[in-house]
Amino acid sequence: MSAPTTQRLSLAPQNNRRRNLISLTPLIDVVFILLVFFMLASSFLDWRSITLDPPKQTGGSPSLEQAVLIEVREDGLRLGGEVMALDSVAARAAALLQKKPDRPVLVRPDDGVPVQDVVVVLDALTAGGVTNLSLIRKKR
Amino acid sequence: MSMSFQNKARRTTSDDDRILPLINVVFLLLIFFMLAGHLAATDPFNVEPPTSLSETEPEKSPHVVLIGGDGQLAYDGKVLEQEALVQALTAEVDGGAVDFQLKADGGAAAVRMVEIMELMRQAGVKKVRVLTVPKAL
Repeated sequence: MSAPTTQRLSLAPQNNRRRNLISLTPLIDVVFILLVFFMLASSFLDWRSITLDPPKQTGGSPSLEQAVLIEVREDGLRLGGEVMALDSVAARAAALLQKKPDRPVLVRPDDGVPVQDVVVVLDALTAGGVTNLSLIRKKR
Repeated sequence: MSMSFQNKARRTTSDDDRILPLINVVFLLLIFFMLAGHLAATDPFNVEPPTSLSETEPEKSPHVVLIGGDGQLAYDGKVLEQEALVQALTAEVDGGAVDFQLKADGGAAAVRMVEIMELMRQAGVKKVRVLTVPKAL
């Protein structure tokens, strides 16, 4: 009769002690705060890059006479004044470079053309094997 | 009386037991965000980088010039005017910095980007990497 009572009494405080040893609520609080911090602070952007030569401010140097000029306008692309589609511009530029591989290729965006459109042209040229790429702009 | 006490104790432990799966999931999320994301300083203004097909992964560089969608400039976490940017870049080039990166908004005027690249050239920068992101599938 007395044996089960002591067992029961000893079981109850043991349970209670196990629970009091580490209370989970503050732990969860801290972990939640850490979680929210890392969710807000971390960025998942996967960066890529295109390497370019910064343009010279003064035009008209002799090397530029040899250059292939591609104009990016709001209404389309021009290579040497001729209106073309994007893939034919890339093909033509690659063909021109086969004769003289070190010819610089200049891309000149017009006013109002967003960066994204120029990046698309640069992509197509790079895919066609052009390495000596540079951006220029019209002189004011 | 001892009976009711025991019942109460069992109920509170089972409360903890019920939270355990939640804690497991929260820990997993925490570890995922700690490992998969990388912490980066936030830019002074929002820049939506252009998408490209480029496969080249840029090296980490502390020298990033930002161009916002409306053409405003920032370098080293501070919004700057053109003259201040040229001064800051010249100081960096004199200090031996070589790897300069340009983070331009995809909607910014391309002419503005060329203008900034001219300024970078003027400050003595030899190579510029334009930062882009891969096209979303």
